Amino acid sequence: MPDDIRSTYLADVQAPITHARGLPNSHYIDPDTIARENKAVLETTWTALAVGADVPENGDAKPIDFLGQPLLLLRDDQGVVRVFFNICRHRGMILVEAPRKIEGAIRCPYHSWCYAKTGRLVATPHVGGAGQNQHEGIDRATLGLVEVRSHIWMDVVFINLSGGAAPFEEVHCDVLARWREFDKPLYHGGDDSRFTLEVQTNWKLAVENYCESYHLPWVHPGLNSYSRLEDHYHIEAQGRYSGQGSYVYRQLTGEDGQRLPDFEGLSEFWETGAEYITLYPNLLLGVHRDHSFAIILEPVSHTQTREHVHIYYAAPETDPDLRARNAKQWKDVFEEDIFVVEGMMRGRRASGFDGGRFAPAMDGPTHMFHAWVAGRMEALGEDG
Amino acid sequence: MDRSALDAGLLAAHENGDTALLVRLYLKAADGTEDAAASAFYLTHAYVFALEAGLEEVASIRARLVAQGAEPDP
Repeated sequence: MPDDIRSTYLADVQAPITHARGLPNSHYIDPDTIARENKAVLETTWTALAVGADVPENGDAKPIDFLGQPLLLLRDDQGVVRVFFNICRHRGMILVEAPRKIEGAIRCPYHSWCYAKTGRLVATPHVGGAGQNQHEGIDRATLGLVEVRSHIWMDVVFINLSGGAAPFEEVHCDVLARWREFDKPLYHGGDDSRFTLEVQTNWKLAVENYCESYHLPWVHPGLNSYSRLEDHYHIEAQGRYSGQGSYVYRQLTGEDGQRLPDFEGLSEFWETGAEYITLYPNLLLGVHRDHSFAIILEPVSHTQTREHVHIYYAAPETDPDLRARNAKQWKDVFEEDIFVVEGMMRGRRASGFDGGRFAPAMDGPTHMFHAWVAGRMEALGEDG
Repeated sequence: MDRSALDAGLLAAHENGDTALLVRLYLKAADGTEDAAASAFYLTHAYVFALEAGLEEVASIRARLVAQGAEPDP
């Protein structure tokens, strides 16, 4: 696309919501535009990759492909979680093919170079000839696994593939402050509190749907029966996150009146308050007095998204029935959204679509996300 | 254990992915030769599989390799 046309539409997207248009079809269906966009918004930012609960025990390793790159999530013997490129420093062989426990070291299946769980290269068999495991040309200290910059917050593992982003705590200082009351141990609910939804859509459409409450009465009539449109408010932090909040969160109650335990020390607001934000680019979060959830949007391709849902509680042991009901409740809600995000994706094939208009009073958080993507594209410039 | 039985055992251990047995058999192979290069070769294999499995023999095998000049002295 010529730069003058690109700069025009990027300006249109970033215009005030009353006359802005959304990102055009090319951001959903054109591989060249998608490649530039990936660089602008997924590779150079702090992108959600996984959760710590994916590698719950020391030595657990999980290979993950992200944007086509083979990565390895690994928890070492001290419990530190790191992300590496899942390749041997020798000939680039894939090291770990499937999730498993690393008992001692990671042994490359090709020539058996071995790596400690911290990434350190610890064995180079026969590198100097048969039975000679050292060579002056091989400095093990400089040939450890290549680590990908990562940061963990609310058990979510974020990565910065480019390595050049400002520190996570700096980029997201305001959301860290906003939700400081939830900065305490979170306990993953276990297998019944995780599920994955395969959705035939571009990941950005899942973001835009999550950002607004406008659709609640139409798409989630059950939810709207107690959490009405007028009970919601916009959350807008330009360039960092946006979403919606609710004043009327209602806890699940068991037959005997039991409830899930609250996070300790929450202020009065959270008795009935709940907030749902997209932390740009690809993490959907929700917090409540008695649970939180994280949805990592995996951009499998520009037309396919995998939504990894994880629900967390304030205590390691919780009522299994309430936990199951809670998971089912959220799964039902998220499944109700699938036809919308898939329908919008199919709509992006219509050449007559101009990016669409925003409902000025309702779509502020969604427009903010579009404007952020456009701004990142603009900043990428001609070099991207 | 004669040489052919050792080889058969090694093949079977490789086939079964029995890392602990591989360590034992490669150590036996190393001990069964007077050729220093061959010994280092077998010890190296024992070392690699012991490392992979996190076996306690790692330290002693490593010490033997270091003594033979096959592994860097930490």
